[in-house]
Amino acid sequence: MVGNAVFRAEGLRKSFGQNEVLGGVSLELHAGEVTVLMGANGAGKSTLVKIISGVYERGDGTMGLAGQAFAPNTPAEAIRAGVVTVHQNINDGVVADLDVATNLTLDRLSGSGAPFLFNPARVRRQAKAVADRMGLAIDLKARVSDLSLADRQMVAIARALAHQPKVLILDEPTSSLSSAEADRLFALIDRLREQGVAILYISHRMSDIRRLADRIVSMRDGIISGVFDKKPLDYEGAVNAMLGRKIHLDQIVVRDSADIVLKIDGLRIAQGAKPISLTLGDGEVVAITGLVGVGKTALAETLFGVRKPVAGTMVLNGKPYAPGSTGEAIAAGVFLVAKDRGENGIVGGFNIQENISLPFHKRMSRFAVLRRRLERITARQQIEELGIVCRSEKDEMSALSGGNQQKVMVARWMAQDAGLFILDEPFQGVDISARRDIAAKLRASANGRATLLFVTELDEALETADRILVMSEQTIVGEHRNADVDLDRLLAEVAGGPLHSAA
Amino acid sequence: MNITRRLLGKVALGLAGATMLMQFPALAADKPAPFDKPGVKIALVRYLSTGDFFQAYLSGVEAQSKALGIDLRVLDSRQDAALQSDMVDQAIALGVQGIIIQHGLTESMKDAAQRAVDAGIKVVAFDVNVENPKIPQVEQSDRDLARLALEQAVKDNGDSWKAGYVYVAGIAPLDRRNETWVDVKKKYAGISEVAMFGTLDNPIANSVANQARSVLSAHPDIKVMFAPYDEFAKGVKIAVDEAGLNKGIKIYSADISTSDIAAMREPDSAWAATAATNPAVVGQVSVRALAQLLAGEDPGHNVVVPPTLITQKDLIDKDIKNMEDLSAKLPQFAHADVAMPAWMPNPNAK
Amino acid sequence: MTLRDHAIRYGFIVLLFGLVAYFAIAADGFVSPQSAVFIFQSVAITGVLALGVTATLVVGGFDLSIGSVATSAMMAAAYVMVVLEQNALVAVVVCLLIGAIVGLINGWLIVYMRVPDLLATLGMMFLLVGLQRIPTEGRSIATGMTMPDGSVANGKFSDAFLALGRHRFDFFIPNLIPVSVVVLLVLAVLIWFFLEYTRFGRMMYAVGSNERAAELAGAPVKAYKIWAYVISGVFASISGILLAARLGRGDIASGNNLLLDAVAAALIGYAVLGAAKPNAFGTAVGALFVGILLQGLTMMNAPYYTQDFVKGVVLVVALVFTFALSGRGRR
Repeated sequence: MVGNAVFRAEGLRKSFGQNEVLGGVSLELHAGEVTVLMGANGAGKSTLVKIISGVYERGDGTMGLAGQAFAPNTPAEAIRAGVVTVHQNINDGVVADLDVATNLTLDRLSGSGAPFLFNPARVRRQAKAVADRMGLAIDLKARVSDLSLADRQMVAIARALAHQPKVLILDEPTSSLSSAEADRLFALIDRLREQGVAILYISHRMSDIRRLADRIVSMRDGIISGVFDKKPLDYEGAVNAMLGRKIHLDQIVVRDSADIVLKIDGLRIAQGAKPISLTLGDGEVVAITGLVGVGKTALAETLFGVRKPVAGTMVLNGKPYAPGSTGEAIAAGVFLVAKDRGENGIVGGFNIQENISLPFHKRMSRFAVLRRRLERITARQQIEELGIVCRSEKDEMSALSGGNQQKVMVARWMAQDAGLFILDEPFQGVDISARRDIAAKLRASANGRATLLFVTELDEALETADRILVMSEQTIVGEHRNADVDLDRLLAEVAGGPLHSAA
Repeated sequence: MNITRRLLGKVALGLAGATMLMQFPALAADKPAPFDKPGVKIALVRYLSTGDFFQAYLSGVEAQSKALGIDLRVLDSRQDAALQSDMVDQAIALGVQGIIIQHGLTESMKDAAQRAVDAGIKVVAFDVNVENPKIPQVEQSDRDLARLALEQAVKDNGDSWKAGYVYVAGIAPLDRRNETWVDVKKKYAGISEVAMFGTLDNPIANSVANQARSVLSAHPDIKVMFAPYDEFAKGVKIAVDEAGLNKGIKIYSADISTSDIAAMREPDSAWAATAATNPAVVGQVSVRALAQLLAGEDPGHNVVVPPTLITQKDLIDKDIKNMEDLSAKLPQFAHADVAMPAWMPNPNAK
Repeated sequence: MTLRDHAIRYGFIVLLFGLVAYFAIAADGFVSPQSAVFIFQSVAITGVLALGVTATLVVGGFDLSIGSVATSAMMAAAYVMVVLEQNALVAVVVCLLIGAIVGLINGWLIVYMRVPDLLATLGMMFLLVGLQRIPTEGRSIATGMTMPDGSVANGKFSDAFLALGRHRFDFFIPNLIPVSVVVLLVLAVLIWFFLEYTRFGRMMYAVGSNERAAELAGAPVKAYKIWAYVISGVFASISGILLAARLGRGDIASGNNLLLDAVAAALIGYAVLGAAKPNAFGTAVGALFVGILLQGLTMMNAPYYTQDFVKGVVLVVALVFTFALSGRGRR
């Protein structure tokens, strides 16, 4: 069944500055086979894809396509050689204001061989041929902006396939599709598989992976951490390889808490989601883990007043808690270090000191006038406490490394005492030493509040938390005391399948 | 063209209102045909209509039409050149006997005017050259405006002084006024222009005031400011007052409005005199020239409405406080003896 | 600091002093207390406008309606005093209310109706240019004017109101400093202090730099944005009051030139002291810069179009300072 590899990469390396993102990756793709690539955020998946599709130059290593050397310098070269990529953001793949037919043939409108005049009849003829080959049933005259997301996705893929590729890379194609829409996509992928296309499918969704995968390749920290191609596939092994198990359990002295800080009862964070009930205790560090897209951020934002729950109640320190805004949440002592600091945290125009004082202006001012001395003292104190590496508190944020930027984000909220301290992906894009620093600081200061972390990487949960909750499909599906964790059960819960299914 | 009329003259609202309210005697029977019976239809086809000047012009047209028993239709293209041309055709279709074209572009109106003439309709044009020998051109004389003001300046200050001059080139009426200024400088060797400035940034008076302040500090020896447009003069006056030089400098200008009168009447005002044409009178003259054509008379190809000199002394001596007073107490401003055959009713007659 | 840092930080100030030195030599009478006061007076109206628009720039917005707010306020002041025959206090209050209401509407359109700021305030600009003409059917307002219904308006600008444009305070030299300059200086200090030293100002900068981060730090982002437009509207109406007091009548005008000069001043302000962001001190220096330039050029008999040209050059140079040299413009 498995033929010779159509695509082969050997020892790919890539660094950005001093940060090595790919540390020697080898990968084979076979014709008529769906290879699923799994990896947590920052594992190097997208860098790998970008090297294969010609967006990035590779640092080291070789690539071959159908027996010949393959070294694309631009995405266009990769496409011409037969490697086509459909990126995660659907709207990057289509031009919303044009009709379907034009979108399907867009790549023929430019380039050296393209005719000077735009001939609608010929465009429609060519487009029909492309659509038929894929079994695409979409009105070719419809404007793409009027189509559903799934149809747009289909058009984007069809457009990619108009090049008759040897290798098709799909980067999280179902992330914004409903399950019915996803089924249509899977049917299309089946069809392509039969036609002998080698498909590299990147996803976190276990249901997708179970449905499609012929092989699974797990990535972790810039290397391939596992290849699974024996039937039946070992899904939990793949998740395990992706999340890693380099755990230092001895670092943690697990604490149990008696005093309840937050009690959540029957909280539903989205329409159709199962209710969540949990309690968080004083001095406790609780991590909620789960794959990307299971509702971790939605839960964090619900707790912080950014979004309103569909149903359920929350009680904070004995009082009903239903924040209508972030301001109310902060006033109630609930702080959130939001994920994706560039997007949600860093104020680019402000220096370190100003970024740290941001949420607590009111507490740091007298008659609305900011007390700059207090601001400076606080900033210096936080820089000291968290070991932020900088010249002074007046440094620009852009001068800091990712880890230090993240420390500033955490420092911002640790300057005041919280009742409930929530951190959403606090270790994202953070090097290992900064991660240890932050985790240690969180644990050391945990008394007097409840601390709640949302992390995708299991390691991070195991390194930091007293208790680990597993989230799947917008609810909590498992709970583990971080003492002698049954990792098999935990991984099964993360993978979302029945217990010990593959064992 | 667009800017020019809006710029020029914020005039004579009072007059307009007053004339409209007046009652006129029953039509005399001794007017020539077709004015022996009421109901002659004419159309006013306008290019520009917003602003004090155009309001006053319209009221003049209405007053004279009423005095002649004319049925007046007003077609307003609101600065749409193509529409204005279409409106001439519309007027032809309405079956009017005469058309007044008020402003517009030569390019768009020349053919339209010719079509009207071909249809046997009498046409006069105000402040737009339609290049047609059969169409009389009604105009106010910008050269005369400047001349009157400058003659007064020479009379007040002798023929040797240093002048500041406010001018923006490229605006047709200002360019015509400038020709006179150039002539006057040539005629009197003692008059020297030490500074020229000007801007049309709005509010114009404010911008000109800022400039004039700078000019006055650079040239404290200026005796006369020639600002041949009342917005300019207003700005210069603000600057002169702010610099505390109002006793040493005299301002001569063109155009008049109620607020200009107030400014000229202020104690120790530097604004000595202005020359102005009454836009309501221009409106009346436009109708009269058309009426003459309709009655088979020739008003001449160029119908020029003469300006009036208005001095600070006039305003104070005659206790003129606004445009109504001006018309009432300065008869030459209220009425111009242009296109006035014996049978023509005077709308200003009491 | 490197030479380059110094150039970015002090380049524009040096340019300003260079300019003053040049005019001092080239134009007679440029250096005198009176001349300095002239400059301040000539920039007072646009300066106040520019300070207002700075507030909207700080929250990452823009207000195109300030010019027409100013001229509308001027018309309103004239209407209240001349037609309605009310006193100066009523006129001032009405103007300020107009500014605040326009600001609220602008903010509401932008924040709740999600109309992009440029478009919302452009719409408001047109609306006001038309609205200010409706009560008088397009006539300017002056004592003795005839109203559309034929009656004559007999009210007049009260002396107290005119004093806002004409009274001068003694300052070493008698009758030196006009009220408008005092207003400009007071407002400049106020808005500077507000933006730089109060928590509200700081949060406005945060909103302008990263709205999402500000919201997640507990700031009522919508309220801050609306307030910025209210500040801008009120400042614009103050500038309209100064304009009315200086002109002594209500003049129909779009105020577009006021808008452009004000925006230019605020943008030039980005370059001052290498701030690379909207700031009140920079705006004030920017306005002054333009004022000095125009005063000097006018004294040297340069025609108006060369002044526009030079204004444009200064703006472009300032923007290059801000965006290219400092490299901090990319946010």
